[in-house]
Amino acid sequence: MALRNVRIYGDEILKKKCRPVQMMTPRTKLLIHDMLDTMYDANGVGLAAPQVGVLKRIVVIDVSGAEEETENGNGSDNGDMIEDTGINANENMDGAADADTAAESGGPYVLINPEILETAGEQTGQEGCLSLPGQAGNVTRPEYVKVKALDENMKEFVLEGKGLLARAICHECDHLEGIMYVEKVEGDLFDVTDEAED
Amino acid sequence: MIKPVNLREIALGMMMEITEEEAYSHVVLRETLEKYQYLEKRDRAFLSRLVEGTLEHMIQMDYIIEQFSNVPVYNMKPLIRNLLRLSVYQLKYMDSVPDSAVCNEAVKLAQKKGFYNLKGFVNGVLRNTARRLSQVRYPDQEKEPLHYLSVKYSFPIWMLDKWVAQFGYEATEKMCRDSHMTRGTVVRCNLSKASKEEIVEDMNAQGITVRQHPYLDYALEISDYNYIGAVSTFRKGWIQVQDISSMLVAEIAAVNWGDYCIDVCAAPGGKSLHIADKLMGSGYVEARDISERKVQMMQENIERTGAINIRAMRMDATVPDEESRGKADIVLADVPCSGLGVIRKKQDIKYKMSEKQQQDIIRLQRRILYNVQDYVRPGGTLIYSTCTIGADENQYNIKWFLENFPFHLESIDPYICEELKGRTTEGGFLQLLPGVHQSDGFFIARLRRDA
Repeated sequence: MALRNVRIYGDEILKKKCRPVQMMTPRTKLLIHDMLDTMYDANGVGLAAPQVGVLKRIVVIDVSGAEEETENGNGSDNGDMIEDTGINANENMDGAADADTAAESGGPYVLINPEILETAGEQTGQEGCLSLPGQAGNVTRPEYVKVKALDENMKEFVLEGKGLLARAICHECDHLEGIMYVEKVEGDLFDVTDEAED
Repeated sequence: MIKPVNLREIALGMMMEITEEEAYSHVVLRETLEKYQYLEKRDRAFLSRLVEGTLEHMIQMDYIIEQFSNVPVYNMKPLIRNLLRLSVYQLKYMDSVPDSAVCNEAVKLAQKKGFYNLKGFVNGVLRNTARRLSQVRYPDQEKEPLHYLSVKYSFPIWMLDKWVAQFGYEATEKMCRDSHMTRGTVVRCNLSKASKEEIVEDMNAQGITVRQHPYLDYALEISDYNYIGAVSTFRKGWIQVQDISSMLVAEIAAVNWGDYCIDVCAAPGGKSLHIADKLMGSGYVEARDISERKVQMMQENIERTGAINIRAMRMDATVPDEESRGKADIVLADVPCSGLGVIRKKQDIKYKMSEKQQQDIIRLQRRILYNVQDYVRPGGTLIYSTCTIGADENQYNIKWFLENFPFHLESIDPYICEELKGRTTEGGFLQLLPGVHQSDGFFIARLRRDA
């Protein structure tokens, strides 16, 4: 597991527009894996490449388990239940290949050169950012998002997301344009106290 | 992006405080929701339901966990045991949460809390539970009747054992079942402020469902409102939230114009205010309690209702008050108790109470009775009440009291409806059982000081 340094709000790199990925290289593959590790380590649900200092149009998202109540009473045993070894980004990478069919799964998703095709509805709720630790704010986002992207094999797929997944897609795609959620926050940012570690 | 707060982590923190640090569930919930004021309504509802539900079904959760774990629940690390309880509750009772989400999140939390090596264990137990939940075999009612009740309704065996001996198996099951029911809120019409008709009309206009309570004419059961503080009828002081059982106290006290009444354990003040209301501005009620916070709470209630013949004051009922000797026409002793009659509202009571703790409570109750009986004037009335079930804190205390002090029991039949009358009420006391009666579990005795 390799963790990368997360750039903090104020860092100029977070204001820059990212460049599209032209081809998959071992270096980019490593970046993706590190981004997933870094995201899981910080209990994030999404991370964009500029947040680890790379100006490429790559985001990773995993909202599985973070959604408190979903509308579909998804029965037991769907594919993304963790195997006995627990969650580790590397093991779950294979699962992500099914992304083009699994619109309801929480992830992990790797989105390269994402392009939002369609949005609908509205949701207002709290979000925070790994680049602004300990704070959060209310942001209004679309309730539904349809996005086109390449997976880590540079194969095109379409992902549809509702609720938290839709929010995460928008939040991460904004990063690729150099936009932080603080520009969209309604009211003040507030401090969130992380529960003390035992 | 990061989700600002992890609700399951907050819930886990609450469970740890409640089960491992002896904090009261309603206090922990209130304080936590205050701390996370910025949470959305939906998230707040999820948190309350998860914690309250897990506590409500905790023995059953432990039973299920042990079907799929080689380690007994009491041998697990406290954090892991509470994490599993919360997760199994979601698997069994929260259909809207996908099983995969429950398992994933629990594993992540175990890791985050420093139990990296137990990730596999947590995952294994939960995956198996998710797969085979419907095949779990529960204790058989015929073969193991107490164990059956214990697992089905999550009550400790010792408590069930006592109840079955005193009230029979059927009533015990009714009480257990009732503790899992939700009922409307019972409110008392403050008749010195408005008539019942005005009050009902006022609440109907706000879309609140109002039902007449069978035991008392001025008691209403209300539902379909969000938060009582926002109901204008409440804000105007026209109604007071109070269980029917506690209203019966003021009825049974049978106040007369001009009476001087001392309520020795009065907070939050419902009974005192009820008596003040019945005195129609005459007489005087002293609502005493032990802490400044409780006095403050009563003060707020007094101000809201605008009663003038009542005063809240800080006074410890276990310390004798020479000033009050022989002065009161009525003394209300609604003593601290084990609270087994209100488990529906405070689910953790059933796990926290033990026979030993109950002995300590009985000592406290007798100490209070010893002091406060002295305040009753000759010929005056003492009303003893508890919100608990069972002879130890009720009938046995009364028996002890009558043996030691110049009081006698007096029939309460003149003050209660037909439905509640029975063998014991003529003798001077009433034990209400939740689920058997339409009220909380409660005990009231009417005692008169010999003239």
